[in-house]
Amino acid sequence: MVERNDVVEHTGRKLLMTRVFAARRPLVFDAWTKPEHVAKWWGPRGFSLPSCEMDLRPGGAFRFVMRGPDGVDRPFEGVYAEVERPERIVFGGTIHDGVHVNTTVTFEDRGAETLVTVAQTFSAESDATRGSAEGWAQTLDRLGEALAAAR
Amino acid sequence: MNMGADQLTATFAALADPTRRAILARLASGEANVTELAAPFDMSQPAISKHLKVLERAGLISRSREAQSRPCRLEGRRLKEAAAWMERYRRAWEESFDRLDEYLEEMKKKEVRRGRKK
Repeated sequence: MVERNDVVEHTGRKLLMTRVFAARRPLVFDAWTKPEHVAKWWGPRGFSLPSCEMDLRPGGAFRFVMRGPDGVDRPFEGVYAEVERPERIVFGGTIHDGVHVNTTVTFEDRGAETLVTVAQTFSAESDATRGSAEGWAQTLDRLGEALAAAR
Repeated sequence: MNMGADQLTATFAALADPTRRAILARLASGEANVTELAAPFDMSQPAISKHLKVLERAGLISRSREAQSRPCRLEGRRLKEAAAWMERYRRAWEESFDRLDEYLEEMKKKEVRRGRKK
């Protein structure tokens, strides 16, 4: 049985998602880090991954090309910051519309299952802005609440 | 996802600074002028004015031209657009997760088959 409980936090420019997958951690980590596996599931339904290059080590580059049902190719490329098998990968990349996104994926051992957490921060600038990420969540949380109340 | 990529970039760029986020949070509770906005910061009014210009150019705030104090107010539309973009992005992830769920089942079956051969 697959336990489906995505927890979504979605404030300002930060996104946090979790899901429990019904497979052991090494297998789930492989699914995320080996191109032949990644190509099988990466992207929304109807999308394919005609190109998937992964130099999986800190400082190594990756380049994905995601093809939409409209036939348009959307590249996603960047660099791995951290790779700790089988528990964690961190990468920074630019998505097709120019937005920079820093992503941390963690894999938590739950016996026969694995809890995967994806945390993403969006910015228009490069990794240089990473240092300023502190504290923004708090202020934007308040802002988000105020906006929700205003709706 | 081709909703005003430049606008989105401007929005995220404007949000990438802690002072500007604090200003937006302050404005979420009501209009304020430069003097009021500068008060909690260890910053000169010209420095705050620069931040306000960035926010104004990104469409995140507007400034009254009438009153001399030119009070600033929050413009929620840009933030909502950014939120809507992220919502689409989140849904894309959810579908990826669904596909991964299914693919892991295949991987497990292959693993079992390989295990039997040994």
